[in-house]
Amino acid sequence: MAASVERPQTIQTMIDGVERYNPENTEVLEEYLAGQCKNGEYDLVANLVLLKLYQFNPQLSKVPVIVNVLAKSLTAIPKPDYNLCMYLLTDYVDVDEVKRLTHLQQLLEQSRYAEFWSTLEKDKELVKDIVGFEDAIRQVIAHVVSMSYQTIAASVLESYLALKGDAFKQYCEKQEWQLSGSTVSIPINKDNEAKTVVVRENIKFEQFTKVIGHSNEM
Amino acid sequence: MYNDAFEEDDLVAEVELVAQARYSRNADLEDGFNDEVVVNQQPAAVQIPDGVRNFISFFYRNVLENNVYELHNVYDTSFNKLTDKYYTKQPWPEAELIAPLVNNDEVFLTLYRELYYRHIYGRLTPTLEHRFRSYENYCDLFNYILNSEGPVNLELPNQWLWDIIDEFIYQFQSFSNYRDRLKNKSEEEIALLRDNPQIWSTYSVLNVLYSFIQKSRINEQLLVSKKGGDMMEAAGEYGARPLYKNLGYFSIIGLLRVNCLMGDFVLALKMMDNVVLNKKALFARVTACHVTAYYYVGFAYMMMRRYADAIKAFSNVLSFLQRTKPYHSRSYQSEQLARKSDQMYALLAMCIALCPTRLDENIHSQLREKYGEHISKMQKGVEGIPIFEELFQHACPKFISASGRLDGTPRADPYQTYMKIFVTDIQNQIKLPTLRSFMKLYTTMGVDKLAKFLEMDPEELKMQLLVFKQKSRQIKWVSGDLLDGEYLPTSDLDFCLKQDVVHIAESKVGRRYADWFLRNINRCEDIVASLEQRA
Repeated sequence: MAASVERPQTIQTMIDGVERYNPENTEVLEEYLAGQCKNGEYDLVANLVLLKLYQFNPQLSKVPVIVNVLAKSLTAIPKPDYNLCMYLLTDYVDVDEVKRLTHLQQLLEQSRYAEFWSTLEKDKELVKDIVGFEDAIRQVIAHVVSMSYQTIAASVLESYLALKGDAFKQYCEKQEWQLSGSTVSIPINKDNEAKTVVVRENIKFEQFTKVIGHSNEM
Repeated sequence: MYNDAFEEDDLVAEVELVAQARYSRNADLEDGFNDEVVVNQQPAAVQIPDGVRNFISFFYRNVLENNVYELHNVYDTSFNKLTDKYYTKQPWPEAELIAPLVNNDEVFLTLYRELYYRHIYGRLTPTLEHRFRSYENYCDLFNYILNSEGPVNLELPNQWLWDIIDEFIYQFQSFSNYRDRLKNKSEEEIALLRDNPQIWSTYSVLNVLYSFIQKSRINEQLLVSKKGGDMMEAAGEYGARPLYKNLGYFSIIGLLRVNCLMGDFVLALKMMDNVVLNKKALFARVTACHVTAYYYVGFAYMMMRRYADAIKAFSNVLSFLQRTKPYHSRSYQSEQLARKSDQMYALLAMCIALCPTRLDENIHSQLREKYGEHISKMQKGVEGIPIFEELFQHACPKFISASGRLDGTPRADPYQTYMKIFVTDIQNQIKLPTLRSFMKLYTTMGVDKLAKFLEMDPEELKMQLLVFKQKSRQIKWVSGDLLDGEYLPTSDLDFCLKQDVVHIAESKVGRRYADWFLRNINRCEDIVASLEQRA
């Protein structure tokens, strides 16, 4: 699984082989995560290694770090990264922050975007360490919308993205969406085309040489 | 071996332990069989049936001679026959008792003890003492293999080597579950557990498996066989020997399993980086290993929401099992294989309900027979959720917690968490099959009208459509390692929204001519041949 960032060699060494299990790597990985939060980068595998070290050495675990890992993985939706992190966090399921983040994850998974933004208002401090969190989530939502819609009412899109007026117009421009009046048109891409496809079998002549050769002998 | 009823058995063991006046190291001499031995100061061999004595001598001779072929029979057939005859309800004789028969050969006795404890776990109930002693025995065995000066001159059948790794992990699993259920344990037991955190600790188990992999340089060997290069150089002194190579290989599968048990599915699949999953792979020589590998690969894919890949993995191994059924229905492992096979059908049923795909005819008919009703219920909406829960419970592995907690604080059962995450995922997509079936009937439809058909609020429907779009695309393996994959559509139905109108497109499979023609060519040939015969 490639990271969205060029993974530094020091981190790569920590992930390979038995170094994964060395609890002394915890601090370095925590710093790497802090870097990801500040720079908008994202490295799932390194974060999973950190969570695994917490799993094996519960005395080293820190809830704020866990919160950051989970918040970061929300920006990867629709990939299942959030679940993959939760599988390593079975002891923290009932922690309040984790429960609130899981609720936010569910809202995103169910595409309840308007509700997501209103709930996020109350939970802003959970994601305070992640620079550009809201924009990353907007990217997630924009991705889903551009897969599904060719034209969409501007008001609906505004509620999905929690943007209004000029900010909204600028966002549409950046995404190369056409805003005309009260509708937004999304350019055709391979996902929102909805073309009927007929899957035809593709047989090459070479595959029949045996049969033809055999018939020659008859 | 797999004795999944060990919870009950553990209660019996605990009662036994509490009932003993004092916890003493001589506990297992109170076994009725050995009482006679203590009284009668004669060599204990007198009390061992002749058949068993002969068997042990024969067994010992073959181990000395590294006669792998004979050993396979000894291990696979004779040992189990004698177990069924004499030792269904009691343990085999203790190693010390048969020692005179084998010249007190420590190596043989360690191997013998491995079988001895496996028998106890499989047919009887292990006590805490047994667990500790078995662990120490494994340490002795692995120390001998890994830390002697130079590779040891021992050869064992592949089946046994796999079973050693398999049983080692099984006993670790059993111990972790035992350790986490502290409620009915006595103070002494808890103290013993607390004083010995290294026994059956996760780190030590992982250490063994990683050591085998490193010593045998199995990853380098696999890389060479994939990409070419000097095999002898890659293998090194230890890896060139079958004992080490096989133990290294089986340890990879072992790590796949252990990581799945602890919820790290990404790492589990990463372990299989150099293993090519096909019929010619090394693991295919030992059926149980083959089945285990595919089961955990499929399960890991399923938990990563890569249902299409999971379906492929399960179909692969299930058709293998079907084809080779006559060969393993006689082996003593047929029961376990049948159970694993059934579990995989259950997992396959769930994946098919979530990601409908065409299946091979044989698998499809078997699946319909076993779980046809379940599948249709799972696709009917909210009432299908209990079915998912039931199948998950039936088919999931016995998860464990990586670190013990002996201070008595209540702890979430990892299985509950995994189940909850899985079911929550399912709940988000439970209405999709109904949505699909309606959408198949139309090419365009207004959102309001469709909402009325589905008895949903139009806003709700719009959200369901977005969910449908997301769920109809998964990461699917195209080439490379198991973790690689591309984000591809996996549904035969696609749509796009233009304002409030849904435009639906279905992908159809064109007529397959090649197959039809080939089959008829064959038929024609048969007819011509039979006509010529009569002429």
